Amino acid sequence: MNSERKTRVLIAKPGLDGHDRGARVVAYGLRDAGFEVIYTGLRQTPEQIATAAVQEDVDVIGLSVLSGAHLALTRKVIEKLREQDAAEIPLLVGGLIPEADKAALKEMGVAEVFTAGTPISSIASFIKSRVANA
Amino acid sequence: MKETHDDIERIAKAEEQWRQEVLGPRVKRFNLEKSPTRFYTPTAEPDFDFLKQVGFPGQYPFTAGNQPFDFWRAYAEAGARMGMRPESGGGGAAGRYSGYGTAEDYRDYLLRMQSLGNRGGPNVAFDLVTQCGYDSDSPFAAGEVGRVGVAVDSFRDFEVIYEAFTGDHDIDKVPSNFTINAPAAVIIAMYVALADKRGIPLEKLRGTPQNDILKEFIARGTYIYPPRPSMRLFRDTLVFCRRHLPKLNVNSIGGYHIREAGATRIQDLAFSLANGCAYLQTGVDAGLDIDDFAPMFTFNAFGGSMEIYHEIAFQRAARRMWARLVKERFGAKDPHGMMIRQPITAHVGCTSTTLQRPLNNLARAVVGGIAAGMCGGLPAAYPPFDEPLGLGHSLEAIQLQMDATRILIFEAKVADVVDPWAGSYFMESLTDETEAAAQAELDKIDGMGGAVAAIENGYMPRAVAKSAYERQKRLENQEEFVVGVNCFNRDNEIDVSVQRVVDELYNPLQMATAEERQLVKLALLRRERNGKAVARALAALEVHAKDEDANLMPDLIECVKSEATLQEICDVLRGVFGEAEPVKI
Amino acid sequence: MAARSWDDLVAGARRGEPRPLARLISRVEDREPGWQEAMQTLFPHAGGARIIGITGPPGSGKSSLTSIITASLVKRGHRVGIIAVDPTSPFSGGALLGDRLRMREVATTPGVFIRSMATRGTLGGLCQGARDVARILAAAGHDVILLETVGVGQDEIEVVKAADLVVVVCVPGQGDGVQTLKAGIMEIADLFVVNKADREGADVLVADIRSMQALTADGGSATTAPVLETCALTGQGVEALVQALSAPPAASRRGGEHEEARVREEILTLLERGIARLVRRRWGDDSELDNAVQRVRRGETDPYSAAQAILDAMPVS
Repeated sequence: MNSERKTRVLIAKPGLDGHDRGARVVAYGLRDAGFEVIYTGLRQTPEQIATAAVQEDVDVIGLSVLSGAHLALTRKVIEKLREQDAAEIPLLVGGLIPEADKAALKEMGVAEVFTAGTPISSIASFIKSRVANA
Repeated sequence: MKETHDDIERIAKAEEQWRQEVLGPRVKRFNLEKSPTRFYTPTAEPDFDFLKQVGFPGQYPFTAGNQPFDFWRAYAEAGARMGMRPESGGGGAAGRYSGYGTAEDYRDYLLRMQSLGNRGGPNVAFDLVTQCGYDSDSPFAAGEVGRVGVAVDSFRDFEVIYEAFTGDHDIDKVPSNFTINAPAAVIIAMYVALADKRGIPLEKLRGTPQNDILKEFIARGTYIYPPRPSMRLFRDTLVFCRRHLPKLNVNSIGGYHIREAGATRIQDLAFSLANGCAYLQTGVDAGLDIDDFAPMFTFNAFGGSMEIYHEIAFQRAARRMWARLVKERFGAKDPHGMMIRQPITAHVGCTSTTLQRPLNNLARAVVGGIAAGMCGGLPAAYPPFDEPLGLGHSLEAIQLQMDATRILIFEAKVADVVDPWAGSYFMESLTDETEAAAQAELDKIDGMGGAVAAIENGYMPRAVAKSAYERQKRLENQEEFVVGVNCFNRDNEIDVSVQRVVDELYNPLQMATAEERQLVKLALLRRERNGKAVARALAALEVHAKDEDANLMPDLIECVKSEATLQEICDVLRGVFGEAEPVKI
Repeated sequence: MAARSWDDLVAGARRGEPRPLARLISRVEDREPGWQEAMQTLFPHAGGARIIGITGPPGSGKSSLTSIITASLVKRGHRVGIIAVDPTSPFSGGALLGDRLRMREVATTPGVFIRSMATRGTLGGLCQGARDVARILAAAGHDVILLETVGVGQDEIEVVKAADLVVVVCVPGQGDGVQTLKAGIMEIADLFVVNKADREGADVLVADIRSMQALTADGGSATTAPVLETCALTGQGVEALVQALSAPPAASRRGGEHEEARVREEILTLLERGIARLVRRRWGDDSELDNAVQRVRRGETDPYSAAQAILDAMPVS
């Protein structure tokens, strides 16, 4: 692999949930793992997320939701990614996700769900292996 | 405890000897660099001044507590004999924090609770759409309507909620809590409009709007306008409430959210006090008498953690610091304004709970309960152990939580002594250290120009994000341990689980259809109301919003009465004040 | 989108399709084999854009200003490309690119393309990198490129040399006023903007800048650069700023001689970067070098002599 190639990750919070501790910590952590992290912060609409993913040509998208609206919001983000011909970008979801909803998210096409207590190193490894095998 | 200086010298010499002859060799024997434990002697507090540093509970500087004994202690044993559940509500307090779906859903829930014997006033959680000043048909609302709280798009919705509070528990008899910040002025306006409609004198209204916008910029993220216009709105609520709703608390200042967002203990204390000072200053600048409004400020809670000794010291230091600030910086004379009026004291915080082996969270909550009992609070073993599972608290978890609290009160008797750590060499020096560190941070913020300046320049939000990350790194490097998460998490451990029954307080069918039903109601509202009256009211609001000195409450009351929607009102203000910029990390 | 050929990407980018455009930018930025040919194909079509550099200390509100300028340009019928540059961490090689956050207003506007770039620690190469991306965006039909960087490092000053016009943004209440601006930035500024002009100290800052201009009478662009006041939140002063952006660059940076120097500099930079890559590839884990390393460690020679020996043996005079 080209040694100058950098892995680019989008971290976004869809919806109105304002608790961004997790998203920020993951953003800092992935930066320290050597990734280029495009952090778009709070109140991202599904369209803004998909547009950013496309324009920034990211390798992975990370959504953080703690308001319970993760199923509806993820569905909308996937819809917008499809519209912009970007549905094959792996999607990761983190936050307050009940066990039962993980299966539903995976069925939608989410690549992995990372909940509380997951070390950032695990997330970084997951991303590295996905990118290497892409 | 006050030893003479000769005594202190002798002890210091003896301590040095002990270090050389006893501690040192032991440390060396185990190949440690320093002792893994500490021991405190009178040398830690050589100039201890009991009256100045501690005083008596119920008296300035309130280090030992706000009251000589807490009111619930007077009834604790009667409650135990009668088998009363220390549930929310009753006795004129607000009920359990709740809210979901449409106003009709929430009203029906409240009626159901009342039929089960809960008599408290509404303690309202609003959905994120409402908290951010949008209507349910806004593109931002998709997926969020009625989810984390009730959807209130207009005065009509507000009235529907209160159909559950009429007759002998109308709003002149029960208090209301509103967890609302950015559009707090609008919700307070609705409360006033409701009282007007029901012919209830405003002086009878009680309750607490959270109304703490500064912490939103630092930690919670539901802001609308930039900090300065947000403080203008706060000023308007403060002045209006003091004049017309004398029994309503003005705000509920929260360090809790700041800590949960990742702040250190010291940042939590310093930033909360800085915010509190900014709010107090707003009242002073508006020409109010400090003794008139400071007593109506409340605190939501500060944050918590598992470090029990530190949290006890924190509460003592916090009470002392606030008392001194209100008295010395603001010249207050009435001691009621110098007290930190908060419903809870020390606790462990929800971020101290773990998803892994959740039953351990009960043990954690007990630590918080002990800490609370030892610093002037109800020894509440909060939260219920299944908090991090995100599915609502099960009946089992709630039962265990209540029982743990009862065990602490009646079996451990932890709240039988007020400020039991007073005079401890360790606790007094830890309290002093906590105060000194928080003061240094507070001085830094004062140097920037105060809380608003420290938000505008990004200092406070970025400091919190940095602390959150540093803690994460410590955990990942095992510099700090969390049982079951970054240690004791291998295959030789057992995953303990228990049968849980989650009482579906919130009807999931209603939750699922709330958005579509709310949209129908909203459309109906827009058709039925008097568009001209709405336009007039909004126009008047816009004119006065541009005048810094105008108090917007009368206009907001007119707007809600005219059935302008929450977003229509907030949009007028967005047009004049602009929207807050997100903080770059 | 399956892995596409360079031709597909270039064609798609030229049609203004966002995915191939973004993909192309990545592959050129990553210097994937074939990138030079792609840039050669694009170059003839990449001259139609005005590149405007926007720089200044952190906290000056550059991103918000960039956003509001973009909105105004779009209204005037322009297609705008934005390149937002942030520093790469020297320790991890990663970067936190957070400028998009402040450009919400234009993040999904048709005709606007926002791309976040990390400095990637390539000294001198950063200017080239920004130039490459700007050209790609230009070839994709954007006629104004806003190049936003934080003006605190040497790299960032390099970046704005790729611009036709440089705007320096400052904000009142930042302690030392103009002292916070690095000397290099002051020399190349075509326009000064005092943002957040509603704040206390705005007038003082404007006066400071003007007096510094009076003192530095070296004929450089900065001495005659206009000083404008804006408030990105309210929009005050923005239209005047957008007007000023269409002004031609200062006399000192126009003209054949200047252009020649720029082109020469670019070719030399491309050569340097290319040769540097060759060196790494050729000697990166070469056994001959291993020998030299061991000899240095044994004290038989030194790094200088080792390197000189290789240079002397090269067939280039």
